Amino acid sequence: MNELKLNEEYDKFRHGIEILMKPPEFSVATTPSQIVYTEDKMKLIHYIPAVAKTHAVPILIVYALVNRYYILDLQPDKSVIKKLLEEGFDVYVIDWGYPSGSDRYLTLDDYVNGYIHNSVEHIKEKCGLDKITLLGVCQGGTFSIMYSALHPENVQNLVTLVAPVNFDSNKGILNLWAKGLDVDKIVDYYGIVPGDFLNSAFLLLDPFRLMIDKYVGMFERIECNPEDTTSQIRNEDYIKNFLRMEKWIFDSPDQAGETYRQFMKDCYQKNLLIKNEMMLNGKKINLKNITMPVLNVMAEFDHLVPTDASIPLADAISSTDKDTLVFPTGHIGIFVGSKSQKEVCPKIAAWLKPRSFLNGNGNVKAGSVKKELPKLVTEKTESVKEERSKLAKEKTLEHNIKKRKPKVNKK
Amino acid sequence: MNTEVNIKGKNMDKSNLESTQEFYDQWVNMYKATMGKLVEMPAVGPSREKSEKMMKGVSTFVNLFAAGMDTSSNLQKVFMEAMQKVQEKIPADMDGDISPEKYKEFYDIWIQTYSDTFKDFAKSGHFTSDLGKLNAHLMDFQKYNREMLEENYLKPMNMPTKTEIDEINKELYTLKKTVKELARQIKELKENK
Repeated sequence: MNELKLNEEYDKFRHGIEILMKPPEFSVATTPSQIVYTEDKMKLIHYIPAVAKTHAVPILIVYALVNRYYILDLQPDKSVIKKLLEEGFDVYVIDWGYPSGSDRYLTLDDYVNGYIHNSVEHIKEKCGLDKITLLGVCQGGTFSIMYSALHPENVQNLVTLVAPVNFDSNKGILNLWAKGLDVDKIVDYYGIVPGDFLNSAFLLLDPFRLMIDKYVGMFERIECNPEDTTSQIRNEDYIKNFLRMEKWIFDSPDQAGETYRQFMKDCYQKNLLIKNEMMLNGKKINLKNITMPVLNVMAEFDHLVPTDASIPLADAISSTDKDTLVFPTGHIGIFVGSKSQKEVCPKIAAWLKPRSFLNGNGNVKAGSVKKELPKLVTEKTESVKEERSKLAKEKTLEHNIKKRKPKVNKK
Repeated sequence: MNTEVNIKGKNMDKSNLESTQEFYDQWVNMYKATMGKLVEMPAVGPSREKSEKMMKGVSTFVNLFAAGMDTSSNLQKVFMEAMQKVQEKIPADMDGDISPEKYKEFYDIWIQTYSDTFKDFAKSGHFTSDLGKLNAHLMDFQKYNREMLEENYLKPMNMPTKTEIDEINKELYTLKKTVKELARQIKELKENK
């Protein structure tokens, strides 16, 4: 028995190495798109619509400066972007590119009032609209909140996904660490803050899981049935999926120093944004200027942006049409987890559809939205409870099965 | 030696590392009281500027070294705490012949315990303070090294330095921003015609 089990473990490892040695080809960001606007290193990407007639108001997705936007289009069956296209939306994404030495002096103002604003203006002009929908993700969500407060006239709907607005949270380890950092010394030395520097902080959040167990788990998932071709295909697919995620995690662009400085100091250390005290280019960001419909989407088990970093947005803004959705998943799971395609995207789409009408002048039709609002907040509480109990049951069941039936090699 | 120390309210045996830590603490204190003062003395004479800069490097390094020792000592305590917890959790039948199942069971206990213990520590003020200090001293040290490299090697060899490149980058950034603003104004004027 022992020898059999040992052989199985060895076979898994050998199979894993064999698959890796063949270099499996994998790609990311495969949804068809074209670049419609560029400015410095920033590119505005427009996705080819998946349906003949799209909803009138296009969506501009603003991703974080940390890591790359393609987590939203990691692979065809795990793509928030593809799903939104299939739901009939016209989708644009900002690709921030990879900042280099010449970008070290770019400020937060350049990102928000420069790149985001110019992208919005470009889409408005292209589509002949007065307003568009902003969908901000993580730090990109914070940027979108800033933009919506400074240019509310351009934003029809604001959707924030795992976006922090209150940085005074003790639940997020990053929030705690950031308070003790001498940001000036970091920026003054590096200029452009290396992506690897930030990545090392992310790895430190749970080094044993992220640097050891993840890779042990990869080999454990390998199936060892050399005669079963479907298991070989499953193995290869699994490794490809693993490598896609691995690529995304370590594809970390460097950060423009001055932007990093202001974001860390004003947001993480002084928490100025939620207090309406943050300034961009001499102009105060007043969250009360946000009057458009707002959907705030959070992940219950988010260890990077805990829910209490996002929840206060609702009270800080003037919008009367505002909803909150919490999904029982994590910071990354909300984009690529099983719930992402089945629940997160459809619910965002359901919220956006009735708010994406135009009137006869090509402007967003006022007052056309309220009647069709789905009651998402109530639904959320119930769905979260259901999900949690389902998840707990599944876990217990899985645990019991594992305990009772140890896997046996079918050789 | 079997005295006890307390980490976040949890008792554990005092490790040898603590004695090492005590030694380094004493060493740093001694350094600051003697050699450190000598090193930080104002320099005189024709090469005073260069000498002073060079000597600053010693203090910068000592600060980094002390911060590194604090951090590694605290980390070591966490590892020891985790190791002790693992020992407590390992079932008695782990002794003797280790089967792959038992090995896997051990691995699961080990990874879970180490992960949980480290995560707890990462949330503590100790770690936040250690990380902040270590990082600040590392930045000081690296900045100092770069300054020395520029001062003593690149400049005498007429090579471009990072400082000079940064100046050009800043100039370029300002120019680009001005051009963008002018382009925007021209566009606006054209549209208003």
